[in-house]
Amino acid sequence: MSRLADLAVEEEDGAVVARITGEIDLSNAATLERAMLDTVPNTATGMVVDLTGVSYLDSAGIRMLGEMAERLRWREQRLAVVAPEGSRVRGVLTMAGAQDVVAFEDSFDSALRAVVGQG
Amino acid sequence: MVGHTVDANQDNGARAGARSDGARTLRTVAGIVLLAGVYGLAAFFSLRLALIEENITPLWPPTGIAVAALLLFGTRWWPGIAIGALVVNLPITESLLAAVATAAGNTLAPMFAVWILRRARFRTELDRPRDVVVLLLAALIGMLVSATIGALALVLSDQVAAGEFWTSWSVWWAGDSMGVLVVAPFLLVVWNRAHHRYPPPRRLELLELFVFLAMLAAVSVFAVTAKASILFVALPFVGWASWRFEQSGAASAALLVSSAATWAAVGDRGPFQGADLVDRMITLQGFNATVAFTAFFLAALVSERARSREALERGAADLEARVQRRTTELSEANQRLAAQIAERREAESRLRRSERQLAEAHEVARIGAWEWDLASGEVTWSEEMFRIHGAEPGAFPVTFDKAMEFIAEADRPRIRRTTETALQQRKDVPDVEYRIELPDGRARHLHARSRFSLAEDGTPLRMFGIVQDVTERHEFEREHRIADTLQRSLLPASFPEMDGILIAARYLPAERGLAAGGDWYDVIALGGGRVALVIGDVAGHGLDAASLMGQLRTAVRAYALEGHAPAVVAERTDALMQEVAEDQMATLLFVALDVEARSATIVSAGHPPPITIGARGSRLLDVRLAPPLGFAPRTRFRESTASLETGDTLLLYTDGLIDRPDLAIDEGLRRVLSAAEANRDADPEELCDRVLSAMVSGDASDDIAMLALCLTPAVPGDLRLRIPAEPGALSQMRRRLARWLDAAGVPADVRGDVVLASSEAAANSIRHAYGPSKAWVELEAGVADDEVHVVVRDRGRWRAPRGRGGRGLSVIEACMHIVEIDRGAGGTEVRMRRPVRARVVR
Repeated sequence: MSRLADLAVEEEDGAVVARITGEIDLSNAATLERAMLDTVPNTATGMVVDLTGVSYLDSAGIRMLGEMAERLRWREQRLAVVAPEGSRVRGVLTMAGAQDVVAFEDSFDSALRAVVGQG
Repeated sequence: MVGHTVDANQDNGARAGARSDGARTLRTVAGIVLLAGVYGLAAFFSLRLALIEENITPLWPPTGIAVAALLLFGTRWWPGIAIGALVVNLPITESLLAAVATAAGNTLAPMFAVWILRRARFRTELDRPRDVVVLLLAALIGMLVSATIGALALVLSDQVAAGEFWTSWSVWWAGDSMGVLVVAPFLLVVWNRAHHRYPPPRRLELLELFVFLAMLAAVSVFAVTAKASILFVALPFVGWASWRFEQSGAASAALLVSSAATWAAVGDRGPFQGADLVDRMITLQGFNATVAFTAFFLAALVSERARSREALERGAADLEARVQRRTTELSEANQRLAAQIAERREAESRLRRSERQLAEAHEVARIGAWEWDLASGEVTWSEEMFRIHGAEPGAFPVTFDKAMEFIAEADRPRIRRTTETALQQRKDVPDVEYRIELPDGRARHLHARSRFSLAEDGTPLRMFGIVQDVTERHEFEREHRIADTLQRSLLPASFPEMDGILIAARYLPAERGLAAGGDWYDVIALGGGRVALVIGDVAGHGLDAASLMGQLRTAVRAYALEGHAPAVVAERTDALMQEVAEDQMATLLFVALDVEARSATIVSAGHPPPITIGARGSRLLDVRLAPPLGFAPRTRFRESTASLETGDTLLLYTDGLIDRPDLAIDEGLRRVLSAAEANRDADPEELCDRVLSAMVSGDASDDIAMLALCLTPAVPGDLRLRIPAEPGALSQMRRRLARWLDAAGVPADVRGDVVLASSEAAANSIRHAYGPSKAWVELEAGVADDEVHVVVRDRGRWRAPRGRGGRGLSVIEACMHIVEIDRGAGGTEVRMRRPVRARVVR
């Protein structure tokens, strides 16, 4: 894993939860994407990517999220991104119009609900 | 003419041989027809010279043509001769049978002659005398055939009376022989000349030959028309032609003279007038044979001599070259030998010199040598070994135990143990150091190294070694260590933190000699935005100098902190020094700096002046010089002032930097100034290192202290970054830009946007603009009129945004107020602006 960001993965309620801390840019986006997708088994309902601990995110990161969403959609799995209202990352996502490609939630709980479903 | 025509045929025939047998046969047939024609034509003209009936002539060129043709083109051309002869003989012979017989004789004779010539290995070049002799014999013998058959045919066909057989026979034989002897060589020479079988003619030679032949023709005409028998006058000319022009001359002259003589004989002219047939024949044939033979024989002789002369000259030149080569080899070998002798002489003298030097070196270095014969127990000491042990050389008999007695009691068991272990384990003894006690009670430090010499079975035979008296070094090292430690403990570990200045200092102790101690520096915060820089050098070295330095440093610091003016600080320190260290001296440079006002007040007590480095260049500050501290009582110190500018660096140093044994002080100062000037943009830490490395190579011979202070701008200047065009370099760029924006007072939210936009622009450059080679991205940032401007520049072009690749650009445009993208030929430049205060409207 690159020095710029750390990735921690766990399973909760049948969904894979990936927590990223640090910075995401051109230098590590592709590596992070591969590392996260590798952790998602076919049996999982989907994936929650928690960006609460991310201090820097740019278009390379947004592109990474878009590609992950598309890949998971193929496998009929859902992706939700945690980016709390008012955070720097949320600002960047909004600014770049990322809501078209990926759903982002204010809190971890709402993201998990979005992935696991109403049950 | 004849030769030329045949030449073309022969040449083509030879080439055609490689193509097809059909073509070859065709060419042979054509050649045969041609030969028949030429033969017939020559015979037709020759018959006009007939002496007997119409059949026998004194000169019969066709046989010469036949012999030459068969020699040059091969005997398979014989049908040409047969046909030509038959055609010529038919109209002039009574019966068909006689004509056929005569033609057969005319064909067989040249064939026979050629057979003889081939057997005798005749060369058509005619350049050897034996070829001429062979040709003569072949002509005379070969033509017996045609003469016999021809004369018989005439007699049997009743054309000639039986009684005239011998006359007919002799005329026939002589005519044919002369035809061969005179005409054949001429044709051969013409042919060979045309085929470059002779050396190429000189430019004027041919002209000369023609002129000469014309002369000869005149002489011949004169000779054969004169009443008197003076044919022989032509002979010298023939000889001359042969000697001068070799085969060409001989052939031409012989043909000319013979033709003239024959013409005279046939026409009953000149010398032949009134003589009977037989006499005429004998005279003519004898003359012609003599002329032809003499001419060609002489030419062949000349050729042969020329060849042998050439061979001789080549041999002589070859010999000369070999002699020269050998001479060169010999002289080189001689030089090598001389060089080796000189080298050996030099080596011997070096050896003698080094032996003498070794003895002297032992004495100077205080090295003693010893040897211990293990079998007999005998110990031998060198003279210097005795001296080291405080004795005259040979003062006492040495034994192992006697030697051990000298060793200090504390060290004795260790040395004994080391020696015994080495003896048991039969390995080399490690170097040891130990003390000895001299008879007068003094102690000395010795450094010893020793070795064994072993017998073939590994038994130690001898132990030998050297000891060096290292007492001085020991004492010196001890003091040096203490002085160095003291010195470092007395120098400040850190400097006061103040806005607007950067400070760096270096202390480099001397590596050799008792140099440590004496140099010091100090930085004192005086309050009110003022700071004092202090540097000084106590004369002398070692512990005394180091401890006095400690006292002076404390004194200066105390007086300065009491708020005294720089001159007063110097005067009081001077007075204190008169008190505590009467006969010692020290230099001192004290600079009180008002950071805000950018002004300095300076006092120097015999210390080298400080250097300012900045936009105005690097120069020595003009400082009033007073004597060193401790030089004289009640010295008056006067202050100097200097005004500085933002960005200026003050460099203080001790004389160790500029005063070196190998350098005049002026030269040292000049070098420091140029080293400082070369590094005027460096920060103080870098400046110190670079000036030190420019001035000191290897060990410092004296202590060096340096102190550098830079007046930094209150607001950071424009930021300029250059990063490799690699994704991994982006995060570092963002951090440096963020730090600079922070220092420039840009608020956090704007900072985040500017960093994001800049990073996006740089990422675009990295992603789109470059091929595989090493490339860079440049970033410039500045703040002016409450507006941040950033320029990101590369040396490539951005591709037109494709798909989601354009998201980076929309991020940039969302973050910044003004964005201009300039896609030029040299690269792409993104210029962005953002007000420091207002928020972006989203």
